[in-house]
Amino acid sequence: MNDRSGTEVTIAVRDLVKNHGNLEVLKGLSLEVHRGEVAAIIGPSGGGKSTFLRCLNGLERFSGGWVRIEGTTLRHDDPEARREATLCLVRRKVGMVFQGFHLFPHLTALQNVIEAPICVLREPRPQAEAKGLALLDRVGLSSKLHAKPGQLSGGQQQRVAIARTLAMEPSAILFDEPTSALDPRMTGEVLAVMADLASDGQTMIVVTHAMGFARQVANSVYVFGGGQIVESGPPEQIFEAPETEAARLFLAETLAA
Amino acid sequence: MEESSGPSLGIPPLAILSAVLPPRHPSLLRCVTLAALACVFLSSAAWADSLAKVRESHKLRYGSDAEGGGPYAYPNPANPRDVVGFEVDLMGLLCGALGPDPVFVQGQWDSLLPTLDTGRIDVVVNGYEWTSARAQRYLATRPYYIYELQVMAPSGGAVRTFDDLSRPRPDGRKWRVGVLGGSAAETFANAHGNGQIEVLYFNGATDAMMAVKNGQADATLQDLPAARFYKEHYPSLELAGPPVGRGLYVMYLRKGDEALRDALDRGITRLALNGDLRTLYERYGIWTDTQSELASEVEQASTKAADASSHGLGLIRSYGPTLIWAAGMTIVLSFAAMPIAIVVGLLVALGRLYGPPWMARILALYVEVLRGTPLMLQLYVLYFLLPELGVELPAMVAGIVGLAINYSAYEAEIYRAGLQAIPVGQMEAALALGMSRTMALRRVIVPQAMRIVIPPVTNDFIALFKDTSVCSVISIVELTKRYSILANSTGGVVEFAALTAVLYLLMSLPLSWFSRWFERRLAAEGPRGGLVG
Repeated sequence: MNDRSGTEVTIAVRDLVKNHGNLEVLKGLSLEVHRGEVAAIIGPSGGGKSTFLRCLNGLERFSGGWVRIEGTTLRHDDPEARREATLCLVRRKVGMVFQGFHLFPHLTALQNVIEAPICVLREPRPQAEAKGLALLDRVGLSSKLHAKPGQLSGGQQQRVAIARTLAMEPSAILFDEPTSALDPRMTGEVLAVMADLASDGQTMIVVTHAMGFARQVANSVYVFGGGQIVESGPPEQIFEAPETEAARLFLAETLAA
Repeated sequence: MEESSGPSLGIPPLAILSAVLPPRHPSLLRCVTLAALACVFLSSAAWADSLAKVRESHKLRYGSDAEGGGPYAYPNPANPRDVVGFEVDLMGLLCGALGPDPVFVQGQWDSLLPTLDTGRIDVVVNGYEWTSARAQRYLATRPYYIYELQVMAPSGGAVRTFDDLSRPRPDGRKWRVGVLGGSAAETFANAHGNGQIEVLYFNGATDAMMAVKNGQADATLQDLPAARFYKEHYPSLELAGPPVGRGLYVMYLRKGDEALRDALDRGITRLALNGDLRTLYERYGIWTDTQSELASEVEQASTKAADASSHGLGLIRSYGPTLIWAAGMTIVLSFAAMPIAIVVGLLVALGRLYGPPWMARILALYVEVLRGTPLMLQLYVLYFLLPELGVELPAMVAGIVGLAINYSAYEAEIYRAGLQAIPVGQMEAALALGMSRTMALRRVIVPQAMRIVIPPVTNDFIALFKDTSVCSVISIVELTKRYSILANSTGGVVEFAALTAVLYLLMSLPLSWFSRWFERRLAAEGPRGGLVG
């Protein structure tokens, strides 16, 4: 899995800095994710994992460095007008799945999935609906098309959220702790869907506490700590022979728990 | 008794009680009305010996309205907390002979008689003309002034005398004539206009003059004393032609207060005979030769027989339709104003929450100013002050716009709360899907906020329904105004209060039901989901 030279870079991040007042939350991070790659970000809470992910699609502003998504570059000093335009482009290319699902509660599962394709991509409704049906079927929810989010379990909601993101046909999907709000059984449903996407070649960056998933599905693992990448590499290396003390400590604590 | 915004009518609580009972069959309504009447009667019997009470307490409380009340009773220019006027002086003279101190009680002119019913005042003294309908309900003193009616119109304009108003207007429309609602001028204009007059009702004599000055009315018909007194304040108006019509000013008391009435009668006779009355009226510039008849014409008021039915269902049968017609005006005002208020309010809330800082500041000011000043004042500004700046709004437009912008401030705050109740994650999810902020607001945030605000907005709609009554200050006759005109001119305080309350309920209950049905429908869609984190 280390042979990346042949594939193109989907997401590139260089020297990303994020300040909260005087507090430096991200201290100059760089990484590259290639097409079809699954990158897992692990590390202790407060290490800047979610903040980093939210910088990639502009939900969070950063204070230094740049992010490039398929040739579109977001810089910290973009003028406001340019920033707005760039953000719209970036967000069409990168989807995001949240810890709290954030489905639109006033819409049914199917309506949640077809909303953005119709509004943003201007897809004709029949086409969007056909795609929506297929996607909900793929995440195992063809029986819940017309259910409102309030009538679905957490795991079902998160699978609808994944289908909603897929409907935009994104180049990459950012998962922000997608299973942290779920019990173990529902966690399993959602991780299964994500593993299925990975095997299909979907580019993903996953912030997660699910170590099993990171180990078995990810191509590369980044250990965050104190706003920096303390160690990165293929999962075998990170999980079996971590080189840094910080990574060793984190993994010892997490896997022991 | 200070009349402020809202329908505070001085309606006796019993009237309201009888009004909330369902009018399922007329006999029930009649029973309740009669019971209420009986209570009013009994309670007035309890105050039977008013003269003794007045003497004992050393206070004679008389109801009057100092707003636009010159020369009858008006704030002393030298000391505005003090009230002066020929009626104030008259009460001073009468009480001097009688013993008690006269106590001025401020009230809205057209609700002074209902106030008399409540016992908060002993006598009404405020340019009230003698009518048979009133004399049936109340005790009238002998007249203390013979008034005439005077047309006031723009100097050098088309209206030179009252007769001009009974001829067709050159452009084929009706003459707009402003009057004090419920006054003799109203009756006279309606009776002698030859079908050419559209009567505009105002709450104060000066409001009607202001409307003529602004061009919103062609002329106003005023009691001569008021016309003379305020003429210098409105130099662009002239007293057009000789006075028309005449009538008698009397004081009204509750039935049962004959002793007090007789004492006042004796006092008035004495003043008329000894010349004090003439001295007083000359001081205020309102003496006319006609007044010399006062010494002889003394018995007329109390002896004339009353006509027409003035009680219960007969009253409702003859005047009810005009009340129902006025309810239509209430409906038009509210259904025109509320949609505007809802749309403007939503835009204001969105601007405050998502607009640039300068816009948010301006809109915050908009909300504070409109919320922090009375609706009545805003209507005054729209109707009476804007014409000075060259913007002339018809009363209906001013009323609808006034209600709409006033309520838009409240709706804006409701929407702001509703929008802020939507979790941040909703906006983030929409943005992450590639929506612009505007699109996210339109497709995701606002539809959810709408559901939250339905109950408070319905609540405001019902409030606006009743606040339409404030529009009476700019000459719009809606349900409450029509009620007070009818109650005042016929004395049917209880009957019309009952009918008015029933009409308001009939209009607002369906709104409540609709709101509840809508909430239930939304609730049936299941709990709101996807809000974790």
